Amino acid sequence: MGPCRGRVALVTGSSRGLGRVIARTLSEAGADLIINYRQAGGRSETQARALAKELVERGSRAVAIQADIGQKDAVAAMFQQIGAEFGRLDILVLNAARAPFKKAGELLKRDLLELVETNYLGNVYCLQQALPLMQGRPGHVVFISSLGSRFALPSYPLGSMKAAMESLVKQWATELGDRQITVNGVTVGLLKTDSLMVLRQYWPGVERLPASAFVDLEDVAGVVLFLCSDAARSIRGQNLVVDNGLSNELLHAVPSS
Amino acid sequence: MPEPLISQATIYRAVQTAIGEALQIPEEKVTPDRSLIKDLGVESLDLIDINFRLEQDFNIVMPRKYLLDHVEELFGEGTAIDDQDRLTGAAVTIWNARLGSTGTAVHAGMSIEAVPAVHSPRTLVMVVEEILVREPRTCPAWRKSAWTVADERFITCGQCGARAPLSTGDDVIRQWLEDFRARGGLTSHTP
Repeated sequence: MGPCRGRVALVTGSSRGLGRVIARTLSEAGADLIINYRQAGGRSETQARALAKELVERGSRAVAIQADIGQKDAVAAMFQQIGAEFGRLDILVLNAARAPFKKAGELLKRDLLELVETNYLGNVYCLQQALPLMQGRPGHVVFISSLGSRFALPSYPLGSMKAAMESLVKQWATELGDRQITVNGVTVGLLKTDSLMVLRQYWPGVERLPASAFVDLEDVAGVVLFLCSDAARSIRGQNLVVDNGLSNELLHAVPSS
Repeated sequence: MPEPLISQATIYRAVQTAIGEALQIPEEKVTPDRSLIKDLGVESLDLIDINFRLEQDFNIVMPRKYLLDHVEELFGEGTAIDDQDRLTGAAVTIWNARLGSTGTAVHAGMSIEAVPAVHSPRTLVMVVEEILVREPRTCPAWRKSAWTVADERFITCGQCGARAPLSTGDDVIRQWLEDFRARGGLTSHTP
């Protein structure tokens, strides 16, 4: 009898990595799950469907829905399907992200558009479409941010979008407070997911950092679950740093390669 | 051209293994001309995983950027992809000159979205091969040429045992594009 029993949750970009662990955690807490993935016909689809199947076999309701959140029509279609199948939404976890890894001077117009479409507009589209399904009940929105919102990382233009979203978190929390919808962000440190493969191309040696520099996926998912629970209902518009303490120290001893 | 230090067959086997391990599929499924995306289900994160494995295999740095991104950085935004996100004539000329031999085909007006799907294991082999054939003429430490191959994969100085400093994949592409322009490869597209 978990804290999310009877609730319906959507985690965007949940076929892999952190999104997948968050989806599983919410399901274990009793929520019905919508697993979202962007690309049809690839590994994400296979993995999203496998996760949905696994959750169903454990007794939850779960579906995998393909939608590129950067496309407004695709987001509308996804929420139409959620409305038809579940009739409601209680928890929205904005986890999906996609970005070019380039220095600012190298960003082409289409890189910039992709950056804004997926990581800013896409989140706004999802919230706009979610609100009618969250009508009349308390609800929770959690945005997954990263330390890139506050600190410069090499070839990481995504950080600026994370910063924009952290600002929106406060805006939305204020606008939706009267409806008892909480909106918060989780600012995540270094994770050992697929995204580390990307980071190590631009930040050689990152994979050799001590284990203490990384935060466990389950720990992040636990904080997301907490923010989606009644116990956290007075936390509004906050961006909680979950980084195993990485950002507390200005200077870190980086192991030599 | 002298015999390359590391054979194409060795590179191909490494590409096959890298794809098989990254996607967790049997290596036999990886044949030279299958589309990485359409046939094998590769996504952008998988490609990074595959590249990383190849980097470890040969002590190289794979390109971080696509050919057409380099074209636009060097020759100006809009030269390879128009404002409707379609390939230009210049993009097709460059593509065919560089990748035509790998059997990949693009055409003017094609959507940029459709381009990654034309890549195959053969394209990856070419990328690795191009980096490996550009070992410096001499070992920086010994100022002599005594390149040999260690563990069948690593170009190494026979004198001091140091790994050869190789150009990065991005450097190779940039250099190729500069050379292509210098020998007039783009003149038909210059007004």
